[in-house]
Amino acid sequence: MIELKTNSGAPLHRDVADLCERVRSGAIDRRGFLRATAWLGVSMASAGAFLGMGEPAFAQDEAPVDGGTLRFACQIQELTDPMLTSWIEASNLFRNSLEFLTYVDANNVTHPYLAKSWTPSGDLKVWDFDLDERATWSNGDALTPEDVIFNIQRWIAPESQSSNKTAFAAIESVEKTGDHSFRITLSRAVSSLPEQLYSYTCPILHRNFETDGANWPAKPVGTGPYGLVTYEVGRQATFKKRTDYWGTPAHLDEIHYIDLGTDITTHLAALASGQVDILYRTTIAEYDLMKSLPNVQVLSGRAANTLVMRMQVDQKPFDDIRVRQAVLLAADNQQMLDIAYRGEGDIAGNYHVSPTQADYFPLEPIPRDVAKAKALLAEAGYADGIDLEITLGNTQGKWEQDTAQVLQQNLAEAGIRLALNVLPASQYWPVWDKVPFGLTFWAHRPLGSMTLDLAYRSGGAWNESHFASPEFDAALDKAMAVVDPSERPKAMRGVETILRDAAVMVQAYWPSRFTAAAQTVRGFELHPADYFRMDGVWLAKA
Amino acid sequence: MAVTLFIIRKLGGAIATMLTVSLLVFLALEVNVADVAVKVLGQFSTDAQRATWLAANGYNDPVVLRYLRWLGAFVTGDWGTSTYYRTEIASLIPGRLAASGILAGGALLVIIPVGLIAGVLAGMRPGSLLDRLVSLVSVLTTSIPDFASAVFLSAVFVFWLKWLPGASTMLSGFSISEIVLPVLVLALYSTGYLARVTRASMIDVMGTHYVRTARLKGASPTRIVLRHALRNALITPVTVIMLQFPWLLSGVIVVEVFYAYKGFGTLLYDAALNSDIYLVEACAMVSVLVVVATQILSDLAYSWLNPRVSLADAAMGRG
Repeated sequence: MIELKTNSGAPLHRDVADLCERVRSGAIDRRGFLRATAWLGVSMASAGAFLGMGEPAFAQDEAPVDGGTLRFACQIQELTDPMLTSWIEASNLFRNSLEFLTYVDANNVTHPYLAKSWTPSGDLKVWDFDLDERATWSNGDALTPEDVIFNIQRWIAPESQSSNKTAFAAIESVEKTGDHSFRITLSRAVSSLPEQLYSYTCPILHRNFETDGANWPAKPVGTGPYGLVTYEVGRQATFKKRTDYWGTPAHLDEIHYIDLGTDITTHLAALASGQVDILYRTTIAEYDLMKSLPNVQVLSGRAANTLVMRMQVDQKPFDDIRVRQAVLLAADNQQMLDIAYRGEGDIAGNYHVSPTQADYFPLEPIPRDVAKAKALLAEAGYADGIDLEITLGNTQGKWEQDTAQVLQQNLAEAGIRLALNVLPASQYWPVWDKVPFGLTFWAHRPLGSMTLDLAYRSGGAWNESHFASPEFDAALDKAMAVVDPSERPKAMRGVETILRDAAVMVQAYWPSRFTAAAQTVRGFELHPADYFRMDGVWLAKA
Repeated sequence: MAVTLFIIRKLGGAIATMLTVSLLVFLALEVNVADVAVKVLGQFSTDAQRATWLAANGYNDPVVLRYLRWLGAFVTGDWGTSTYYRTEIASLIPGRLAASGILAGGALLVIIPVGLIAGVLAGMRPGSLLDRLVSLVSVLTTSIPDFASAVFLSAVFVFWLKWLPGASTMLSGFSISEIVLPVLVLALYSTGYLARVTRASMIDVMGTHYVRTARLKGASPTRIVLRHALRNALITPVTVIMLQFPWLLSGVIVVEVFYAYKGFGTLLYDAALNSDIYLVEACAMVSVLVVVATQILSDLAYSWLNPRVSLADAAMGRG
């Protein structure tokens, strides 16, 4: 019998024994077991051994080769204050130099990172973290609990404009408990705290960040395997491997991020002609072209990213739930997936929790009913139909507009005259949470509860629909405190039902994700959240 | 004297034009004060932060005073800081302008000789096979918009033949292979246009009495074209060429964006997309400056080619 151990050496959390029983009996699968035990601070090596599968690792057939320069096509956006970053694409740049307390891999399993271990209290409200003593900053300073405390206090400060303020609203205090340890105290139980600490707005900055001018690219101090060498918005950023890195050294000597603008055809042309090695993202529109290119590998994956066409529940005419219900009943989700995304994805049911998320509960679909939609509109005083306008920005590609156009046709059948207000991508983000009816792309999160906490909790900074329901908040609190993977979907059933029945959004489908890379690129994982760590990436000889 | 008078008058006109444009640009972008604060401080800023910033930057003053202050700062080279690029605008524009200048120069190196020679040859013998061929190709190239020819040329030279790179970022310094495609796209359209204008102009000149006289006197065709026809036939094409300058510098946004060429066009595009108002203002003013400067140069070249056009008359607004 192989014994489970925690990374910290502390006794196992009381829920671990129960999890072991459940995986033995088949009540939960191995992935769910690894995810849940990782939250509770169990070492992945011992968890893997317990399951008889060794430590989970990247499958690799070839021995990695060190050296070389990888050229990555992506937008070079401003990164002044990483906690305020609103684009994941930008976070992948500082991800080379700045590190996080934890690391969540492509299978949604949480691993130690700057924090080498964590131990939750029995009620999941007090979390003790131990930092890796080896971690040092590029300026020679040691990583200390003061660094972490500085960051967390900035996230949750009253004047904070970071999305972290909502995501970590449960944090009551953070305090130093030793030279390399600190404690986070929560107002309510949150079992996935370690997982949340890998959100893209949570890199750990040096404690002097603000006194140094609060401009990271101007003074790029970090603990990561690469150092920022050059950085020019809209043009190029280069990172060079640090020889004094505290952890496992990266393979590549240099990474050059190159801004090729917004036209993905140009990105593919640059890849085809060998000017870049990998693209940040391609869309369904380029699928045939990239498939036809020789020496190019197409990477695809499913994730919990989606388009949300949400209505602000406190704005006319959406303050009348009958109008919102009519919109949902007239929408044909399957048709949107089939036409706008060529069927490459999974159908969704308007409650923003994905089958790829471990806490997903499949609600019974509500069939499309145009007659009922018309009746609801008439009841709401719009017997002659209604004029609505949806604002969108094609932030991920033209398929966003295609989706809205299909919705436009669907709604027309119920007498809803939907106008499309299409903005350039960068002009959409300043208004994404202000327009009464907007189409927003939401990135992947490992758990549905994490997305819902950010997007639909009453008063949250990113609550673009202004949905507010104490009942929903309470149900979500309950779901977020559940550790047992088999119990989580059950707890989410109520949460999803409240949200779906409130008719806040048309959330039609979960699009598959695509990108393309040269055949020589190895070790690159299409992380479901687009969090691309580059230290495991290497270039094979052509 | 005439030249000096002409230049003074033209400069006066240029300044008046720039002042008008500056007022329009300022009114369009800065009249809504609340928008300015959001654009500069970002969407995450609080109302209190915005109010403080507006007060600290004089945005509570009357519009006229703000305009004059902005104009004064612009004239003295204080163009502000770009909110998107996070750098001084005055240091950003010259490099981008030079990059577009190189692209425009490359395009003109193709457009001028090819367009003029094709136009002159076609115009010398209207109705000949060569004339029909030049006319056909010219109509074809001028009918295809630049975004379409960019896609077409990339499909052929990048994806199919694999002869040329697909992006023109020039990150490792100037590269001939990277500039070929954007130059070709620009040249395709303008060369055909110039050839058609030159051809028409040449046909006119070849029908004039002095060319007929020269022909009757037994002058060789080469001598007729070079000595008598060409200079007069060039007046209209030169105007067309001069008009290409402002178009090539600020009107090539599509080509620059398609090839990720970091010139003045992409700068203006990114500035507009990201609501970088100070940068949009600066780019608009620089564009106007380029337009009025090329107009003056165009007039000077016009009078050199056609001595009947008097600069003194032009200076006084006669003729």
